[in-house]
Amino acid sequence: MTEDNQKIKKSDILSWDKVTLDKILQSNDMIPGNFRGKISLDPDKDFVLNSHIGQNLENICPTNAISYKNPPESISLDVGKCIFCGNCQQEAPQLIKISNNFDVAKKRKNHLLEVFSESVPFGKTYEEIGNELKNKINKTFGRSLAIREIDAGSCNGCEIEISALTNPIYDIERFGMHFVASPRHADLLLVTGPASKNMEKALKIAYESTPEPKLVIAVGACACSGGIFGKNYATTGGIDSIVPVDVFIPGCPPRPQALIYGIMLALDKI
Amino acid sequence: MNNKTIEHYMSKLEHLEFKFKSHVQNNNEIHIELEDSSKLIEFCNILKLEINLRLLTMIYCDERKTNHAFSLRYLLGSDTDDVFFFVVIFIDKKHAYFPSLSDVFPYSIKYEREINDMFGIQTQGDTTLKPLLLHDFQKNIFPLRKDFHANTELNYTPRKFEFTPITGDGICEIPVGPIHAGIIEPGHFRFSVLGENIVNMETRLGYAHKGIEKIAENMSINNVVLLSERISGDESIANSMAFCQAIEKIAQLEIPEKSKQIRLLFAELERIYNHFGTLSGILNDVGFSYGASRLEILKEYMMQLNEKLSGSRLLFGVNQIGGVKVDISNTSLADIHSMLNDIFQNFEKILEHIQSNSSVIDRLRNTGIIEKQTVNDLGIVGLSSICAGIDTDTRKNHPYGYYSSINFEQTPRADMEQQVKLQKRIGDVLSRFMSRVDELRYSKKLIESISNLETGEIHIPLESELIPFSSGLGYAESHRGETLHWVMMGEDNSIFRYKIRTASFANWSVIEHAVLNNIVADFPVINKSFDFSYSGNDL
Ligand code: SF4
Ligand code: SF4
Repeated sequence: MTEDNQKIKKSDILSWDKVTLDKILQSNDMIPGNFRGKISLDPDKDFVLNSHIGQNLENICPTNAISYKNPPESISLDVGKCIFCGNCQQEAPQLIKISNNFDVAKKRKNHLLEVFSESVPFGKTYEEIGNELKNKINKTFGRSLAIREIDAGSCNGCEIEISALTNPIYDIERFGMHFVASPRHADLLLVTGPASKNMEKALKIAYESTPEPKLVIAVGACACSGGIFGKNYATTGGIDSIVPVDVFIPGCPPRPQALIYGIMLALDKI
Repeated sequence: MNNKTIEHYMSKLEHLEFKFKSHVQNNNEIHIELEDSSKLIEFCNILKLEINLRLLTMIYCDERKTNHAFSLRYLLGSDTDDVFFFVVIFIDKKHAYFPSLSDVFPYSIKYEREINDMFGIQTQGDTTLKPLLLHDFQKNIFPLRKDFHANTELNYTPRKFEFTPITGDGICEIPVGPIHAGIIEPGHFRFSVLGENIVNMETRLGYAHKGIEKIAENMSINNVVLLSERISGDESIANSMAFCQAIEKIAQLEIPEKSKQIRLLFAELERIYNHFGTLSGILNDVGFSYGASRLEILKEYMMQLNEKLSGSRLLFGVNQIGGVKVDISNTSLADIHSMLNDIFQNFEKILEHIQSNSSVIDRLRNTGIIEKQTVNDLGIVGLSSICAGIDTDTRKNHPYGYYSSINFEQTPRADMEQQVKLQKRIGDVLSRFMSRVDELRYSKKLIESISNLETGEIHIPLESELIPFSSGLGYAESHRGETLHWVMMGEDNSIFRYKIRTASFANWSVIEHAVLNNIVADFPVINKSFDFSYSGNDL
């Protein structure tokens, strides 16, 4: 620490640059190229699928997100199960492409299956999407969207990203969204975790206590499908086996931008 | 290098009047099988008193197929020398119970409850153990037994959990959880209060139980690395490193020097972003949102740095068996150094602001005090123990990976120990706050001590098949403390038993003591100052 820093001056603190991001949803330049964000089946021109590649891919995926069928020769990819480990891209870069995009949320679970070819409106600035959201929130929920986060047995990775939404960098409160302390005050539930059996009852009660109209978002591979934990004696393999889900946000964990994108999709439903 | 220490301890053991078989394994593990297992308690007591050992965990294992019995390994470790003791007993059909160690190590009760839940074996004479991890599961389900399949469909019947009743004039109960008010993990707290003061608190955890130890038995070891990262998302490096080291020990694989350096870098980066988060949380819980937000920003910057380096904000996918997957160049290393410089300059400014703010410091000082004796009796590890003057730093006591090349003469933990002795620090929230600050600065130093990365490979493949039923202990110091992973291999490179003991599991019980005589409103800040992981406890 230098001499000047030793004494704290008020102006030092106040003169720090503005840190809140303006263009989160647009600025892929801020997201490093190696972030494992969106996974898709995107074969190279000369790519031919054979059983060797197919079997290898199926075996290498830790969460069985990839399955290979023959005949007819086909490969399917369930993004809801993917934990974005990157194994498959390493195995077959000709077929699997992982990009740093984050617009991965889907409204139906079966939309998570196979390819995302239809492109989603992309390239809007964070402010634009944020303001669009704000308008929707204004219309439907009278200026404020109250969100309740429920951890149904996650590994706490998803919690870290959800709480990052409230930090000064992402700061979702400026769009009229805020986290509330009880499901009774909430319009929207963000649920994480593979829904452990021990949390099943609590999740149900929380859902029932949320007033109508209510939205539920499954956050992360775990909540979408059980993720790496799958369905076993202690987990239920995805929260949609317990409560109805409006939007699925894959990712392990989904980054803050992916979360806010998912929330926007959910508001479309009302 | 370690041979002398081991010989020293072996000769100490021989002087004891016990008959046993013993062998040394993986350099620093002494395995002891007592001839007369009824002497176990006595034996452990002597290990505790004369050799100064601490119970680290109890590993139960269903070896009925291979050894016609369940085995139970009491793992004890030293806080001064790099040595681990496994005291092994076998429990066969004739006596389906095991002796309780709670007279010697009071905290063994938590491990005993765990074993009771997962294997259905009880301690001698005691039939009142409360369940720990399984809530509404049908009776007589013991998930970690070999004849239970991970995917079994079970019936669930609500079972009542008996909280210890606290009665008296004016005493009220406040139930909290499992869903809390903040964005945190699930757990239930039952407070008994007299006015505002907490006179008793009982925790009930297990809500995040996902069967991690069980499902690992059906996964390939490479996938278990990914699983271990998800034991607790913010400890991904520490847990996966401990697991990889366990396997590397079993395989006697010496990983390349460069990968050791990279592991150290990431381990310390992980510590830094998490300590920023915890400090921010503490400030938030005392209502100082300005400081909290400033630290949140630093945490976010660290996570962005993580992502630039590894492709994951939480450092998932860095470790693999035999090394690492992510390479770091010397240019990136220089970037890390300069970024840390910036961040820490900011940090020191914020810190000065915090320390000169009496309304913050007053809330932290004298809040949630834990005594040294409590720490000993509960087997607390990591920062929570050093704030009461007990140092349990795995990096120093059992150096692993690149930490063995580091000189640990002047650690902040030693300073803290000194301050506790001088009674400048008293195991309160403030001491935990300051330990985190010291630790942060130290992590930066550790990262800076690597000025140049070795050249060469970052990974060597695991070629041979691992010997069935060979075992190894991997360990790492997460930002929460000592993390132990014990692995026993099965046939065809599968995992026979995977026992995880996170720092959270060891530490959780301390909260019930730390909150006593504090007011309910201080509970969040006390809880945050310990920084437990619920998922890491429930597995
Ligand atoms: S990145 Fe996803 S789909 Fe590919 S192997 Fe990993 S989990 Fe499976
Ligand atoms: S989706 Fe991934 S990060 Fe989120 S809770 Fe599950 S394992 Fe953790």
